[in-house]
Amino acid sequence: MEKDSSQKTILIVEDDEFLRSLTAKRLEKENYHIEVAVDGENAISTVEGIKPDLILLDLLLPGKDGFEVLKKIRSTEVTKGIPVIIFSNLGQKEDIEKAKALGVDDFLIKANFTLDDVVGKIKKLIADK
Amino acid sequence: MEASRHIHIAELSRRTVNPLIFWGIITVVLTVVLILIINAAGIQSGIYLLFLVPVIAYLVIMGFFVGYVSKLNRERNRLLAEQVREEGARAGEFKKLNQELETYAKQLFDKDFELTLANKRLQNLEQAKSKFVSVTTHQLRTPLSAVKWTFHMLLQGSLGPTTPDQHNFIEKGYESTQRMIAIINDLLNVDYMEADRSDYNFLPVDLLPLIESILFEFTNQAESKKITLKFDKPSSVLPPVAADPIKLSMVLENLLDNAIKYTPQGGQVTVSMSDDRMNSARSNLEVVISDSGIGIPPAERDKIFPRFFRGSNAIKVQTDGTGLGLFISQDIIEKHGGAIWFESAVGKGTQFHFSIPVHRLSK
Repeated sequence: MEKDSSQKTILIVEDDEFLRSLTAKRLEKENYHIEVAVDGENAISTVEGIKPDLILLDLLLPGKDGFEVLKKIRSTEVTKGIPVIIFSNLGQKEDIEKAKALGVDDFLIKANFTLDDVVGKIKKLIADK
Repeated sequence: MEASRHIHIAELSRRTVNPLIFWGIITVVLTVVLILIINAAGIQSGIYLLFLVPVIAYLVIMGFFVGYVSKLNRERNRLLAEQVREEGARAGEFKKLNQELETYAKQLFDKDFELTLANKRLQNLEQAKSKFVSVTTHQLRTPLSAVKWTFHMLLQGSLGPTTPDQHNFIEKGYESTQRMIAIINDLLNVDYMEADRSDYNFLPVDLLPLIESILFEFTNQAESKKITLKFDKPSSVLPPVAADPIKLSMVLENLLDNAIKYTPQGGQVTVSMSDDRMNSARSNLEVVISDSGIGIPPAERDKIFPRFFRGSNAIKVQTDGTGLGLFISQDIIEKHGGAIWFESAVGKGTQFHFSIPVHRLSK
């Protein structure tokens, strides 16, 4: 889909195709421009290339995992200010603590939220930015 | 060795000639020799007796004396032999005991080795189980998320219109998925708890901000049921408790989740905290979570903490719940050295209390 200048761009990093397409479909309804990445390497190069307004990041990814992606984003000057929401089915307290230490903005466990909840969180983070 | 010494002494005493007989023979021989000398010298019988009688008397008295000494000697030998025999027997017993001890020690060592091996195997098994539960549950959540989101989007009409009948069925599907997710989340928590994966990390924890942040997490859930969520803050500054903040949060979350879940629309849930240092030898802080909910039936009051228990009235009003929340909470509070208890009136509400020791340095 072509991006118009008023649209905010959201990068979805998700290796599961169905979850990715459902999320994209729901967010497009909110008039966001959607980009996707399916693994860690892909995510890092896309973030640096397009500098999205927000990143929805899964943790269990092929190759580099979400923690490494987050670390890279936060340690790169041009990308470190981008809001990142971890959106994963991992979610033990240790995972949450680790992500917080790496500077994540929010941590959502997929199974515990609906896509509507996610939209709410995204809107809030983008408005606060 | 002791036995051979024993035989040696016995033989020695048997071979020794009785000194009384020995002395008798010497007396007779000397007397005869004396008579022969006197005869050969041609001495008269009067002088003869004068010599002979004292010599014989001397010999006889000496004989008795020697006999007495010899008797004492034999008695001493007998006692010695007896002692040696007893010691030999005792040594034998000691040797036997020593052998038994060695056997037991060896058996003990073998058992210890077996137990160590068995324990290691159990630990491996426990780790494997834990890993299995953790991986499968996380993996299960992924397809369940897909189902849940799909149902939700259908219910929202984002995927096109549905008939009221279809809507109804989709709603049931959505609720069932929610319940399954709740079960998986509880299983993960129990596994987390039982595996003792991370030991408790006790830190000085300030309860006030902890409770505030957890209450904040529950704002949406409470609002959706129009429940008033209140925090009665203590009037004075309270000392920090010794707690693992992650584990303690889990308890607060479980208790608040229950309170909201089992309180009807428009009800009230209140959290308060107090200091019971004045009236207790141990210094504890107490947290109370009270609701205006359905209450716990009196007959079920002693059953609510064991795992998988759910109140008969709870099942009627709420389908998602596994009966693991209070089990987990009790375990965590007890590992903190605190206590958890409740008061309840059916139809009026329940108050859950828990107490946690104050951090040592703050007493």
